[in-house]
Amino acid sequence: MKEKTIYEHLRDKGLSRRDFMKLCGTIAGMMGLEFAPPVKALGKLTHPSPTEVVAQALKTKPRLPIIWLEFQDCAGCSEAISRSSSPSLGNLVLNDIAIEYHETLMAAAGFQAEKAKEECMRKYWGKYVLVVEGSPTLADDGIYCTVAGKSNLDLLKEAAAGAAAIIATGNCASFGGIPAARPNPTRACGVADLIKDKPVVNIPGCPAIPEVTTGTILHFLVMGELPKTDHFKRPLPFYGHTIHDHCLRRPFYEAGKFAESFDDEGARQGYCLYKLGCKGPTTYNACAALKWERGLSYPVQSGHPCLGCSEPHFWDGGGFYEGQSAPTIILDKVSTATLVGAGVAVGAALAGVNAVKKSRAKKTLKKAASPETGTEAETKKEA
Amino acid sequence: MDWTEILRFSRGPLLHVAMMIFIVGMSYRLVKVILLGWERDRAANKGSKLWGVILNYLKGLLVLPFIPWVRRTFRNNALTFIAGGLFHLSLFVVLAFGTAHILVWKSLFGISWKSLPTPVVAFFSAAGIISLIVLLINRLTHPVLKLLTKLPIWINWVMVFLPMITGFIMARHLWFRYEVIFSLHLISVSLLLIWIPLGRISHFLFYFFSKTIHGAQAGKRAIMP
Repeated sequence: MKEKTIYEHLRDKGLSRRDFMKLCGTIAGMMGLEFAPPVKALGKLTHPSPTEVVAQALKTKPRLPIIWLEFQDCAGCSEAISRSSSPSLGNLVLNDIAIEYHETLMAAAGFQAEKAKEECMRKYWGKYVLVVEGSPTLADDGIYCTVAGKSNLDLLKEAAAGAAAIIATGNCASFGGIPAARPNPTRACGVADLIKDKPVVNIPGCPAIPEVTTGTILHFLVMGELPKTDHFKRPLPFYGHTIHDHCLRRPFYEAGKFAESFDDEGARQGYCLYKLGCKGPTTYNACAALKWERGLSYPVQSGHPCLGCSEPHFWDGGGFYEGQSAPTIILDKVSTATLVGAGVAVGAALAGVNAVKKSRAKKTLKKAASPETGTEAETKKEA
Repeated sequence: MDWTEILRFSRGPLLHVAMMIFIVGMSYRLVKVILLGWERDRAANKGSKLWGVILNYLKGLLVLPFIPWVRRTFRNNALTFIAGGLFHLSLFVVLAFGTAHILVWKSLFGISWKSLPTPVVAFFSAAGIISLIVLLINRLTHPVLKLLTKLPIWINWVMVFLPMITGFIMARHLWFRYEVIFSLHLISVSLLLIWIPLGRISHFLFYFFSKTIHGAQAGKRAIMP
């Protein structure tokens, strides 16, 4: 039997044509499609509207199987996507696209769940999208994170081998995240550090913005390829600008109006949070543009400085409330005193050597000059 | 090139090592100068050393720079005086009242104060950079200065100019990605910190040292420093 397309699947669930087109428009927006590129995957080389591109894809393509693996994580990214502020999109990804294996969300457990995953991998070998949440661990062959008796390294390699594309969601899967914070006892790393032979896209964030994860999955579904990425493999439509670029407190930054503490007048007035440790200027993410909770707010808007959670090593990049311009390694009093002491000691020693040289030279000069002085005195007397 | 990694390195280990070299170097220089030897001051104490020091600073930092025409230095070389003065004033304003710099002092010394409005700091920053360029052109064209200027002076100019220009570009968000220009700024600051004890820029510390000594000597003799 021919597999149902996504559109047919949605129609069966009672979605009207009108709602379908609205959904397509939302997806096009979510993917960051300002204009529609020629989509080879659809056999079209013209420039239809973005909505039409999405509609065409959903009408013609069967559901996209997704296997969602979790390693060293807190399930925060799953929580975020399951409580996504865009219910239609969340449902689309969770139910309709569809996630075949997800340890936190699926009803099955134990051997049943593992069997379902194996079946799905076999059935869709080379076609499914692998989403990874949490960081793989390298230490001791990955034994610090095991599922069903297999190490996370084996699980990742096994699932990656049959994946059409890999999406690393959250900072942990992208760059190692919190498990990779110093001293990184489990040698946590990003998925892209391990898997080199498959297309990998990173959706860093703590958690990743659900609309970005959704948008990237949908991009793959519609375009047949992962979106263009930056040097950290982050999709450019979402990570092309810094939080600072689109910050609603930016005018205060430009005017030099800063909150000095969390409860001062500046904070109440909504002034810039740069002095409270905001990492917005170096953090590339879509928080300021997409926001959270159906565009309600994002950390900076709510009064908290950006932590820089979509950047590598954000956990080790100096204190969250330390100014971004401050050095990350601070000289303590003892080290400073030791350094001053060292300088003084070397200076004093050299000055001592100079003093000895000087006094010797004086003595030599005196000795050499004394007969002459005597002659001069005698001459004066004679005169 | 991974500029996030470079930024991490320049904000952390590089700046740390540069500061260590700076502290050791400056302590060494200061001690070496102090231990060069002192002439015994046999003058009777007629006035107050402290008052002499206060007067010397007031005169040198607050009065004379703002009525420069009373000085021969100004009358003979107005350009150097104005550009040099503006450069030093700008440097002080930017370092002491620029928001990003205040955060540095706060992390180092634990104290913080209000920053000046960004446009004011930006104005002084630009004024400092322009002054430095004017001074360079003057040095390149003045026949006597050209003869007097040797390699270390050119290095001084570059070492001071780089942090200023990168800082200005960073603060105004021009041309570069923030982490790129931030890294370049920190690298140039680190180079400057390492260079200061080796060259004449160390006058930033020795100036206060000699100003104090001269003031005290004049105060002791009850004369105007």
